[in-house]
Amino acid sequence: MIPSITPTATPRKTALAKFSGHRLLTSPGGLAGAVWLAALVAASLTAPWWLPYKTEDQDFTAVLSGPSAAHWLGADELGRDLLSRIFASAAGTLGTSLITVIVGVGLGTILAMTAAASDRAEGIISRVTEIMMSLPGTVIILAVIGAVGTNIPLIMAILGILISAGIYRVMLGQAKSLQSQLYVDAAKVDGVGTLGISVRHVLPGLMNTVVVQSALIFAVGMLIQAGLAFIGFGPPIPQPSWGGMIQSASQHVYDAPWLMVPSGAVLALTVLSANAIGNALGKSPNAAASHLPSAAIRRKRAADAAAAAAAAPAVENAPAAGQLSVRGLSVGVDGGTPLVTDVTFDVAPGTVLGLVGESGCGKTMTAVSLLGLLPSGVSVTGGQILWNGKNLASATEKDLEGIRGRDIALISQEPMRALDPMFTVGYQLTAAIRRLRKAGKAEARAAALSLLEKVGIVDAQRILKSYPHQISGGMAQRVAIALALSGKPRLLVADEPTTALDVTVQAEILSLLRSLVKDTGMSVVMVTHDLGVVADICDNVAVMYAGQVVEGGRTASILDNPRHPYTLALLAADPHANTAHDMPERLATIKGQVPQPKDWPAGCRFAARCQFAGSACAVPVPLLPSGSEDGEVRCVKADELAVEGLGWLATEVPTHRVLEIVEKDMA
Amino acid sequence: MDVTMAMFAAKRLLMALATVLVVAVLAFLLVHAMPGSPGAVSLGAGASQEAIDDVNQRLGWNDPLALQFFRWLGEAVQGNFGTSLIDGRSVSADLASRLPVTASLAAGATVLSAILGIGLGVTAAVRGGLLDRIIGGFVGLLVALPAFWIGIIFVYLFAVQSSVFPATGYVPFEVSPQDWALSLALPVITLAVGGAAFIARQTRASMLEALQQEHIRTLRATATPTWKILYVHALRYASLPIVAGIALQFIGLFGGSVIAEQLFAMPGLGQAVQSSVSTHDAPAVQGVVVIATVVVVAVNLLLELATKFLDPKLRAS
Repeated sequence: MIPSITPTATPRKTALAKFSGHRLLTSPGGLAGAVWLAALVAASLTAPWWLPYKTEDQDFTAVLSGPSAAHWLGADELGRDLLSRIFASAAGTLGTSLITVIVGVGLGTILAMTAAASDRAEGIISRVTEIMMSLPGTVIILAVIGAVGTNIPLIMAILGILISAGIYRVMLGQAKSLQSQLYVDAAKVDGVGTLGISVRHVLPGLMNTVVVQSALIFAVGMLIQAGLAFIGFGPPIPQPSWGGMIQSASQHVYDAPWLMVPSGAVLALTVLSANAIGNALGKSPNAAASHLPSAAIRRKRAADAAAAAAAAPAVENAPAAGQLSVRGLSVGVDGGTPLVTDVTFDVAPGTVLGLVGESGCGKTMTAVSLLGLLPSGVSVTGGQILWNGKNLASATEKDLEGIRGRDIALISQEPMRALDPMFTVGYQLTAAIRRLRKAGKAEARAAALSLLEKVGIVDAQRILKSYPHQISGGMAQRVAIALALSGKPRLLVADEPTTALDVTVQAEILSLLRSLVKDTGMSVVMVTHDLGVVADICDNVAVMYAGQVVEGGRTASILDNPRHPYTLALLAADPHANTAHDMPERLATIKGQVPQPKDWPAGCRFAARCQFAGSACAVPVPLLPSGSEDGEVRCVKADELAVEGLGWLATEVPTHRVLEIVEKDMA
Repeated sequence: MDVTMAMFAAKRLLMALATVLVVAVLAFLLVHAMPGSPGAVSLGAGASQEAIDDVNQRLGWNDPLALQFFRWLGEAVQGNFGTSLIDGRSVSADLASRLPVTASLAAGATVLSAILGIGLGVTAAVRGGLLDRIIGGFVGLLVALPAFWIGIIFVYLFAVQSSVFPATGYVPFEVSPQDWALSLALPVITLAVGGAAFIARQTRASMLEALQQEHIRTLRATATPTWKILYVHALRYASLPIVAGIALQFIGLFGGSVIAEQLFAMPGLGQAVQSSVSTHDAPAVQGVVVIATVVVVAVNLLLELATKFLDPKLRAS
């Protein structure tokens, strides 16, 4: 049975769906904060019915007393019950802080949406908000109080206006990115007006940020309001306020320090609650994709590596020096999904291995694991990476540091992002040379110049003085290659080194790599999705699909005589692989997408997209010798296909589409 | 320093001037909206209507608003903000004596909060794990506690329980540098607590973002020692938003000093705002608002130029 892939339309998300309320309920802090705020509001609104005292009731026997049976939180300098005063004034404090939230976040959001809709509006609004943000806000608010008196709601509204500038800053980027979405362009073409687009398409996307900012500004509003009451600009005298209570308590810090505790604690708890809600809903910065795992993670990895090294058998039939042997390598997200499973390949000295496949096949993860440079949260879960008698899969960070750059070097896909934007090319290159060749300053400088010339840079002197943003992409990739060569490595791991470059530059970089292999005798693991690159430079190929090697062997035999349906499909879909005379009228496609790691089936992972899939494909498929030279293939039908001489069909009508049409007709 | 940088500086300077002018107009209008005419304020409750009208006439209170504004502006650019309606002293002289107090407070608090904040933020980002969570919780608590509450607790602990620091008052630097430092200690620490928490959060986020950049992997691939990756490369990358955060913090602390000055009886600008607002002393309010804005805008300008200087894209294009 063929599992049919239905094209998954992204479900239309409503504004409510985008506001991720469930995150509030799953975060203990956020939940506790929401409960506290709700309880406080309920308690305050119902205060007249349950509070033991009126806010002005004076109990002269309890003046400045601590907690007692009569006064649970004690009493102030006039013998007034603190519990009653704190809860009675809660609703007013929260309500007026809400004014700041509504004005500040509301105005900020409207400004951001207006600015996102028109460049001219953005220019003006950005200027104005910049001025607003560089004002001493507290001083302005006090001057306003001078003019309008202690009219708390009005002051909180004006505070909201001042704060809206900051909200605008936070929201502008997001509003602009929403405004530039393709579906917004489509709506514009359909004649939807600016206002309609803002309300229907931009606002829903901003909803979560609006809620997060509201919670945070709510906290700011409470703090500022309390601060104003503290310096004497609170509600008129007999009326209780939290800041006012702290102020009067501060007068008695010498004789009754306890008074500081109840009002301060309630204010802090309430602010903490609002912040907790905001943090629970917001995206907190995390270390997920860090390229340098934190010390805590590094310690854990070191312990794991030591345990693995102790448990693993000694390296048997170790490969020759300069030979890389990857045996059953598995990589996965920590405590979860596998990303690469059971990958095996060898790279002999002076040869080039191509790792080929679509995006999301685990090629890059396989490549960077060779240097122990997996991002934090991802680690090697099994298998061996054998290099010079060492198993790099369980090597310590210290061992790896001795190997990186000196034995195995890396060049990556986007040269611009691979170089540090804050330092000159010269600094980065000489620092690497001094470190890896133990060279002196002048010696490193000379070596840097000769390396740049070696990678084909003509005005090396100028490039040394340049920052990465001042040179072109092709130039940057040459610099990155020079950087990789600075430790005279014997193996170069190249992660799609030409993908981000212009076609002509691609050819130059490839021919540079080819001559480097010839001159230095180093070997290369070349990650690519381009079969042209493979044909051009690779001696051997490992075709990867969904975290597995599906076919491997010598480049010539695989390109001429592909055995796995996925390889067949890749070749049929590649315009360069077909020579001019046999160029088909239409190129083949591979329907569907590479499945997400969590959706990998137990059986053949390509079955869902394969033209030849059958019931035999539902069980796990081993990688077996393909019969031609030392090739290997992971397909139960490989022999059958070879005998029948079947190719990947270009003009395919996917079965599920036929079914849909039939169903429509019947309905 | 080349053309780009000079252009940038010129544009910023123009914006700064515009900001001060906007605030000057705003302050002027606010002061005119205050209840009570200058005559009534300066002569007090018992004054006769004729005497009040006489003072108002002398101060030009009945002239057209625009005329009054430009008359005030003409004097203000020469450093004369008029005389206080309450005690008849020169507003400029009063502010000049108060500015060093607030400047010491705000600068001290900014420096302290930057040191503490960067230290805590970098530690949280770099060490990770339990320490990250402990710092995160601590910082969250500090953000939630109002500065004035923390200040009172400090007074209780360090001035009442043990008299390490004086509880209140300010000693000018010229009188005794040592006493000056001691008198600033508690207010500066009080103000710095919240600022440090804010900068710690900013620093942690910026460091984590820096460590996600691909060039960090390149550095590791060329065997760069971890300390160098963290403290030379990542911190340098993260420095732009951190310095911007510190600039923002200075603005907040300059205004926030009102509370610290009240709490510790420091004769600074904040106290002047508070008292002149309470007494409706129009020239004083106007003067202090403008001076506070000038200082904040100037420091902000400097810090922003520094930020841009840290960015090679702007420095060397």
